[in-house]
Amino acid sequence: MGKAFDIELIFTSIPQLLSYLHITIWILIASLVIGSTLGLFIALPRIYKVPVLSQIAAVYISFMRGTPILIQLFLVFYGIPALLQLIHIDVSRMAPLVFVIITYSLSTAASFSEMMRGAINSVDKGQTEAAYSIGMSGKQTFTRIVLPQALVVAFPNFGNLVIGSLKDTSLAFTIGVMDMMGRGDTIIAATAHAVEVYIALAIIYYLVAIILEKFFVKSEQKLQKHDQPVHV
Amino acid sequence: MIIDVPFIWTAFVEILKALPLTLLITTGPLLGGLLIGIAVAAVRINSVKIITPIANVYVSFFRGTPAILHIMVIYLGFPLFINKLASYYGWGFNANSIPIVVFVLIALSFTAGAYMSEIIRSGLLAVEKGQIEAAYAIGMNRFQSMKRIVFPQAFALSLPNLCNIFIGFLHTSSIAFIVSQKELNGAANIVASNNLKFLEAYIAAALIYWMLTMLIEGITALLERKLTVYNRGGVV
Repeated sequence: MGKAFDIELIFTSIPQLLSYLHITIWILIASLVIGSTLGLFIALPRIYKVPVLSQIAAVYISFMRGTPILIQLFLVFYGIPALLQLIHIDVSRMAPLVFVIITYSLSTAASFSEMMRGAINSVDKGQTEAAYSIGMSGKQTFTRIVLPQALVVAFPNFGNLVIGSLKDTSLAFTIGVMDMMGRGDTIIAATAHAVEVYIALAIIYYLVAIILEKFFVKSEQKLQKHDQPVHV
Repeated sequence: MIIDVPFIWTAFVEILKALPLTLLITTGPLLGGLLIGIAVAAVRINSVKIITPIANVYVSFFRGTPAILHIMVIYLGFPLFINKLASYYGWGFNANSIPIVVFVLIALSFTAGAYMSEIIRSGLLAVEKGQIEAAYAIGMNRFQSMKRIVFPQAFALSLPNLCNIFIGFLHTSSIAFIVSQKELNGAANIVASNNLKFLEAYIAAALIYWMLTMLIEGITALLERKLTVYNRGGVV
């Protein structure tokens, strides 16, 4: 087995782990796209105070924010096949990746809807009134006036949500997804060195998080350009 | 129906026995993290040479990496380090005799420290500067103005963040099952595989976590109402 701690292994395992980065990114992007679309539809009944639907949405959000992502992962992993069995669809051979994306989408949807609700409520009511007064319909007002402004307000929180989701993806391997963590397990099994591989993983996650953060800070500056004082 | 509803209750009772360990893995790191966080926040607010950049890297690194990696690196790396020291100094002592939960607590304390330092820092910075000046003006010294004026307000302002981090770490504690800790998630795992009723066991665990979360939120709301009395508008 040789040395107890082999620092070289950190550097040799990074490229091997990086070749699985695209799975992590894929989980992240897929769950963000599905989750934010779903989240917007969950936020709407609460913003417009639709009876029944808004209570259901509130319970859903409370549940998703009240349980650990790991538990949600197991619930989806065991729950969806059980539900689909009721209508005689067999999904026991479905890839674990699908369950992971479903779980993270559902979880992102809850956080995203709360975030959007806050942002939409922060848009000045006078904006809506002004839009109505120039003859826009309710839908036009929402999509042309309120939503764009709310997105700018929500943007910094969205950045945090993305980085949070990135870190959550590290749990996907618990239901057998072959992402960076899963690949790390196989390297550990092959080399009998574990700490080095986990340090390598930490370095990769950290770098990805830093890149994302830089990207969000830059985009935020671009988005808020219209709000800055004019220099003549 | 494939779901065995009465078993959810059986599992609920069985899993609830693991609650003390979950509470230990939640509150232990938060207290440890509070100490680390206070030190780190102090260093970051007062910009000390060399130490402040290290503190910045610490905070950004632990906030940028998943908690599971902190647990794994400390759980696997610390024993190597301790055994090396032990053999070097000839202690008759081996890291295998340390319970795993200690490593989990150490690892999550570091994680919590990074988040705590940000909460403490933003709480302290949110207290208006005029308040401190006013405290000095009526003759308080630095320590008194901190203790009597800044801390109570900073604490009240940080309460929502503290609530979030408490819930966050309650949920993070579920990761400890990966290093075979029998906390709520670990217990759910055992109950599930012993009875081959996975969905029921995890539904029970989810309900426990959900209730705990709502309890924490409720307590925070009560506390917040008490602590922000000074800041309430109105005439009565």
